[in-house]
Amino acid sequence: MVFIMGVNFGEGRLVKKALESFYNLGPTSSSRIMAKFSIHKLAKCGSLNPRTVTSLTAELSQMTIDNDARKLMNDNIQRLRDIGSYRGRRHAMGYPVRGQKTQTQTSTASKLNRLPRRV
Amino acid sequence: MASAHSLRSFMRPTVSTTPRSLARAFTTTPLQSAAQGKSSLPPQKQVQVSKKHKKPLVRAKAPNPGERKAFRKRIQLSNNSALEVQGTEDLQPDTMLKSEHAGKMFSIPNDMQDKLRTLEAFKTTQSWNLFRKPHILVRQDLVDLMNKLEAAKGNQEALRLVLTGTKLSGKSHALLQAMLYGMMNNWVVINIPEAQDLTNGNTEYTPVPETSDPYEFIQPVYCYKLLTSIYDANKSVLEGLKLQKDWSATTQQKGAGSLADLIQSAREPDWAWPTFMALWQELQLPGRPPVLFALDGLSHINKKSDYRDPEFNPVHAHDLVLVRTFVDALSGKTKLPNGGAVIAATSGNNRQLQPSQELVLSQLEAGQKGDEVPKPDPYEKGYDERVYDALKNSTVMRLEALSKADARVLMEYWGASGMLRRKIDQHTVWSDWALSGHGIVGELERTSLLTIKM
Repeated sequence: MVFIMGVNFGEGRLVKKALESFYNLGPTSSSRIMAKFSIHKLAKCGSLNPRTVTSLTAELSQMTIDNDARKLMNDNIQRLRDIGSYRGRRHAMGYPVRGQKTQTQTSTASKLNRLPRRV
Repeated sequence: MASAHSLRSFMRPTVSTTPRSLARAFTTTPLQSAAQGKSSLPPQKQVQVSKKHKKPLVRAKAPNPGERKAFRKRIQLSNNSALEVQGTEDLQPDTMLKSEHAGKMFSIPNDMQDKLRTLEAFKTTQSWNLFRKPHILVRQDLVDLMNKLEAAKGNQEALRLVLTGTKLSGKSHALLQAMLYGMMNNWVVINIPEAQDLTNGNTEYTPVPETSDPYEFIQPVYCYKLLTSIYDANKSVLEGLKLQKDWSATTQQKGAGSLADLIQSAREPDWAWPTFMALWQELQLPGRPPVLFALDGLSHINKKSDYRDPEFNPVHAHDLVLVRTFVDALSGKTKLPNGGAVIAATSGNNRQLQPSQELVLSQLEAGQKGDEVPKPDPYEKGYDERVYDALKNSTVMRLEALSKADARVLMEYWGASGMLRRKIDQHTVWSDWALSGHGIVGELERTSLLTIKM
């Protein structure tokens, strides 16, 4: 088992997939991080040496990912709500925010748009 | 006007008026077996089986990890169902040098088969698995190639050659024969079987310390695999060569020993690259045997690789140090003072379009023939100076199609193996030769050998 950012990943897990399991860390960021530490695209967590794992954790800890990123987004929505903007109100009511129709097909909005927003 | 009732009398009767017993359909089933098979009772209504109590589907066991790949990559060199071909001889070290042997089949000796297998010289796309024992056809152009190799050994200089030709013209096969010749004559043979493995970003890479702009990279796992194959294929030669320098500072080899010991000292991938460099430099010292460095799939090392440097720029394949070693040898930057050859084969199917490579090869070929040398296309943007410089000092050898006589020899061998069950006469040979693009050897195999329904 390999600890990256306090999360336990299996030896056979691809490093790319392990990185992308963090919220707000997608394919572009993961490719850049892997290039920075010269990790090839098929590398598995088990093949990383301990020093690389430490550097990876150090690198990730400087990024806004996972709970930090979630909190940032909720803060942004909260700000809209606090200033009483239209978007803020739509978020709070669980309606679509960007002018979509509401008579039908609002399931995604009603699922996600609430305070705090589900992510 | 006729009533509906009266018109109805013209309709055909819907129910047959003939008695049931007479209205039997015609059948060829004998009476007895017909009586056994069918009862005279009307068929009973089928009982509906509840879907809930269906038996669970038993699936076959899935292959273990790696089994599928092993099956896909396996090389089968003999087939017990094929007939043994009488009258062919084993290859001798000097067989392929003699013109009188051109156009004849020879079998590959058993010990060489193992060595070629460790060098991964056999490809899965070649039909070795159809025959009792691997044989090769000695073609005239390959006799010329072997004589060039022999001359390179005599002149103590490297033959720098690029093998090219149309798809299925036998480029990898020619590379195999060159390796075979080298090993039978006690050369040290190093083979990179698929250049794309080095550049498609699927093997580990680490930057060479203290390099930047451009970064250079080591591929430790691939180097380790390469060292293992060098050791297995050239063990007998390398064991007889004593180390002339002390490599204890850079490798795990402490003190004196042979080159085989040097390779074996690298027990981990981390030590593979320094050990390979030590081996490569030792092989260039005086009194060493000639070296054959072969690579298949040239266009893959003449492009930007799939690796990225720490600044996320694509890494040029020539910045991978193993590739650089090969390219330096091919361009003449590294001299091989003991003689030897650096041979790169292009690939017909698995090729990357590389304008500089196409240009320089066509220029070299035209220059060799004495034709007008093609000029670069002024509108082409993809030219690469590094590729041009790497290839401009080499010789190009284009593999031509087989002659009709050679095609006949090959087809007679297939016939003698029991794989071609047709009468092999002039008509058959000429028609198959014509169908195969006038004797392209792989196409000939497709038209006559691989179309047989067993």
